[in-house]
Amino acid sequence: MKNVVIAGFVRSPFTLARKGELARVRPDDLAAQTVRALVDRSGIDAADIEDLLLGCAFPEGEQGFNVARLIGFLAELPLSVGGATVNRFCGSSMQAIHMAAGAIQMNAGESFLCAGVESMTRIPMGGFNPLPNPALYERYPQAFAAMGETAENLARQRGISRARQEEFALGSQRKVAAAQAAGRFDDELVPIVTGNGAKTQTISRDGTPRPETTLEGLANLKLAFDEAGTVTAGTSSPLTDGAAATWVCSEEYAKRKGLKPLARIRSIAISGCQPEIMGIGPVLSTRKALERAGLKLADIDIVELNEAFAAQALACIDELGLDPEKVNLDGGAIALGHPLGATGARITGKAASLLVREGKQFALATQCIGGGQGIATVLEAV
Amino acid sequence: MGATSPIRKVGVLGSGVMGAGIAAQVANAGIPVILLDIVKEGGTSRSALAIEALERLQSVKPAAFMSAARSRLVTPGNLEDDLGRLADCDWIIEAVLERVDVKQKVYRAVDSVRKAGAIVSSNTSTIPLATLLEGLPESFAADFLITHFFNPPRYMRLLELVAGPATRPEATAAIRDFCDIRLGKSVVVCRDTPAFIANRIGTYWIEAAVREAFAGGLTVEETDAIAGKPFGFPKTGVFGLLDLVGIDLGPHVAKSLLATLPANDRYRAVHAESVFISRMIESGLVGRKGKGGFYRLDGSGGRKVKQAIDLVTGEYREIRESQLASSRQGGSNGARGFSKGQAMRAVLESPDRGGRFAWKFLSQTLLYALEVAPQIAVDLSSIDEAMRAGFSWKWGPFELLDELGPAWFAAGLAAEGLPVPALLTAVRAGTFYRVEGGRLQQFSLDGSGGYVEVARRPGALLLADVKRAGPPVSKNGSAALWDLGDGVLCLEFTSKMNALDDAILRMVRKAISLVEGESFKALVIANDGENFSVGANIGLVLFAANVALWPVIEASLYEGQQAFKALKYAPFPVVGAPSGMALGGGCEILLHCDAVQAHAETYMGLVEVGVGLVPGWGGCKELATRWATNRERPGGAMPGVAKSFETISTARVSASADEARELLFLRSTDDITMNRDRLLADAKTKALALVAAGYTPPAEVAISLPGASAKAALDMAVAGFRASGAATPHDVVVAARLATVLTGGETDITESLSEEDLLTLERESFLALVRTPATLARIERMLDTGKALRN
Repeated sequence: MKNVVIAGFVRSPFTLARKGELARVRPDDLAAQTVRALVDRSGIDAADIEDLLLGCAFPEGEQGFNVARLIGFLAELPLSVGGATVNRFCGSSMQAIHMAAGAIQMNAGESFLCAGVESMTRIPMGGFNPLPNPALYERYPQAFAAMGETAENLARQRGISRARQEEFALGSQRKVAAAQAAGRFDDELVPIVTGNGAKTQTISRDGTPRPETTLEGLANLKLAFDEAGTVTAGTSSPLTDGAAATWVCSEEYAKRKGLKPLARIRSIAISGCQPEIMGIGPVLSTRKALERAGLKLADIDIVELNEAFAAQALACIDELGLDPEKVNLDGGAIALGHPLGATGARITGKAASLLVREGKQFALATQCIGGGQGIATVLEAV
Repeated sequence: MGATSPIRKVGVLGSGVMGAGIAAQVANAGIPVILLDIVKEGGTSRSALAIEALERLQSVKPAAFMSAARSRLVTPGNLEDDLGRLADCDWIIEAVLERVDVKQKVYRAVDSVRKAGAIVSSNTSTIPLATLLEGLPESFAADFLITHFFNPPRYMRLLELVAGPATRPEATAAIRDFCDIRLGKSVVVCRDTPAFIANRIGTYWIEAAVREAFAGGLTVEETDAIAGKPFGFPKTGVFGLLDLVGIDLGPHVAKSLLATLPANDRYRAVHAESVFISRMIESGLVGRKGKGGFYRLDGSGGRKVKQAIDLVTGEYREIRESQLASSRQGGSNGARGFSKGQAMRAVLESPDRGGRFAWKFLSQTLLYALEVAPQIAVDLSSIDEAMRAGFSWKWGPFELLDELGPAWFAAGLAAEGLPVPALLTAVRAGTFYRVEGGRLQQFSLDGSGGYVEVARRPGALLLADVKRAGPPVSKNGSAALWDLGDGVLCLEFTSKMNALDDAILRMVRKAISLVEGESFKALVIANDGENFSVGANIGLVLFAANVALWPVIEASLYEGQQAFKALKYAPFPVVGAPSGMALGGGCEILLHCDAVQAHAETYMGLVEVGVGLVPGWGGCKELATRWATNRERPGGAMPGVAKSFETISTARVSASADEARELLFLRSTDDITMNRDRLLADAKTKALALVAAGYTPPAEVAISLPGASAKAALDMAVAGFRASGAATPHDVVVAARLATVLTGGETDITESLSEEDLLTLERESFLALVRTPATLARIERMLDTGKALRN
């Protein structure tokens, strides 16, 4: 079987939905600039690309019309490159990477762009026309459990206090602030140009982090979802606009082209769980992926665990027994934001680039998914 | 006027409370405004003062802008860098510091940039026009006048206008029309005297009441119980009013008046510096904006307690309702069978200290008004109008005198050894107003002893004018029909707070049959009330529910639905003309009108959920249909449903007619009238225009709604609100019933629903809810306290 590698990773700045600088940017334009920058920076031979697989959690409105194909046109990829929009909610763009890996191993292409985008400003979470099956809602309402409610459920079930969630959130903010200050995001960031003529504006910095965060400030926030609960806006990932893109190819292809990949994909997994505690999804998918990789958790040096909510991330850390020191070295979604369709590509690409930067052997990227799923990818140094 | 108005761009100089508020009201009229203030050095911007003023305007309560979009019409700047931007302004309003030297410096700067003929006006509240113009060129004086707004400019209707001898008549006419028609102001022409009309009399009134209250040993509460509601003065009373406007303002106004009033002016005698009040101001007790005033809310004991200051000791103590017999006479709300005047006289003749106080402050105030009237105004109705529109008096001083009886009052003055003013002597046994040939006349100030007509400006019409001219076409206990002339019939609600009941529904039917019978061409639904209608009479619903008369409730629901539907499909145009609140059933009747001519200050809402019900007279049907057929909303089945659900489930009330448009309570074809006095005439014009255009009734629209899938989505959202504490348990029950109606019940998106289908859903949900104890508890609470029960 062919080995599959991640050979490139970039992302757009992440900015707050509605309030941020990317609010006025169409998601297809945002993703197209990100994808184009990946191609230009990585020295990819565009003619060799088989497909652009693009994750998106609410592929409608400006994210509709099989937006992956349209992004191919916008990014001026060769017409020979395909385009497919992939939806597994928050796991969408990690799923895109998995699909590319499967295709490469099936000998159905050697070079893939695996990207993701979400404008949570322009396409509301839930979409424009939420029309759930009323019979299912009646019989199994948790199928549609609201995300905040699932975090409250986990916090309650696992006894994760508000104070502990806030400490975790503060940690995430501090790590992002330190990474930003040290320029550790510079390599991955793609400046996004908006408007034209005199109104041209370039957005090159994340707008999501709140470096001024304090425990006192967090403790004063109102409860966001449950008047008897523990979860606040400060311990949740913010609604975010952003895009991310990775280049996935066979190891042979990379060698042939004289490229230095970031990491090899060692194993992948998907798992399901109870939707009302969807945040625990990474536990089972991680265990499956580790087993398929023939590794133990102790072998993993670097973990990128998406922080949909502090309560959810802590539940996974507790249950898996993750070493907090290895988790989210440059911070996570609580500080950086969680543009649903883009997060999978961001954390997988991030884990791969951290392996290089930190000179480590194994990394894990994993995330929870609304509706009750987990997705995981185990990477190793090349 | 509209596009033909010569005023298409306005500059406002000075971004304090008044300047900023004026700028906002000009923007509310759809006119772009340049708002300039002095340069703030060292700030983030040299225009920081005006920028900050604009920010304040956007968050001030009550709202200065009628919609968020209006705020974009105001451009902030500074008087140095942006002076040139005044060059294309047609009207420049100065609202800077109340100092002649400062104002004149601004005028000279303005004069250097303004285009030829651009009108300049001052918002001075005290300085005579002649003083402001001293030393300025004649060309400037020709374009200059005083436009004195009241605070807050959006809500206070009075605008005092003073033109000088040199002012071009066309300039005066242009400003008068613009302020009247576009800004919606009651323009009162004043003579060029200190403090003009309203502040001259209003200041005297407050000072007389305060002085006599101290002298008579009354408490704060006793004073306000008498110098308030019984005579139609603001129900806050004078002390409450001072708290509201700021106690510290008084000395400034007094200083200015003392400097400018004639030497023999009666104000000099009533004015006395109060040591008590000076001490309050020194201690920061300046009213609601300060640490407290004559009243305060004390939260030191854990819960908030309303306290009043003791006028002897200066200590606060818990509020004590007035026990004086005089304050319980009811005054203007006197017992049944007594006229307002009799009831007021009963207060004035009470033998207790309250009665003596009432006579003293009121007789002095009215005496002052009688004495100064010829100096300050061209006619009596200007003075009454100024006090009503500028100080929120229910009746002006001459209207009050007519209620009391001028002869009775003259006798009272004589008995006290007070002078009887010439005006009072002249009117003798008569009244200051009379109706002759169906028209209102006023006693002339020209000394002739005759009467002149109280003229309405062209385009102004009140239902009261129509009523004076003749009897109603028809009338019952809750409604009346009036002939507006030119074939237009008017339906007026006359019930308490214009609440809708079966008698009004019968009158709707009667109006339809009368117009259909070809004696009329169109119907206007309007009244002169402060509020168009506060909704259906829920007391009747509660009564029927308590004795389980469910069929009666259902029959009344059905009749309301059918009567409103009959209005909509009648073969003649029906124009609704709301002002103030149009809630619940009052909103529903408007939703069935073919067109609406709304006063700018119209507050529309389907608020039934507050009493645990859903709109049941076609309100759900109409709003759902408007959203379903709205071409500007996002596509798909859900957004329209979500909008109507959000609007009704949160009992959203528009903060203006502008906002009612955004909520689809008004359509783009409906129109807005800025001046309340022009509403009826505009509505009539609109009705006749529809007739002239060959009116045909609308065709019935069938709509498709997404049914149970959409209801599941709405239920989910409500469950989230319940969890977060934003919704109560009964909110969830009511919202579920509302969702059933607005999503079309058991329909499918492939089917279409008729109006009758939607009306049936409304009735089913209404009747299910009205049987729940929680809904009945909400209705009871609303009837008892006027507030919603959150159960």
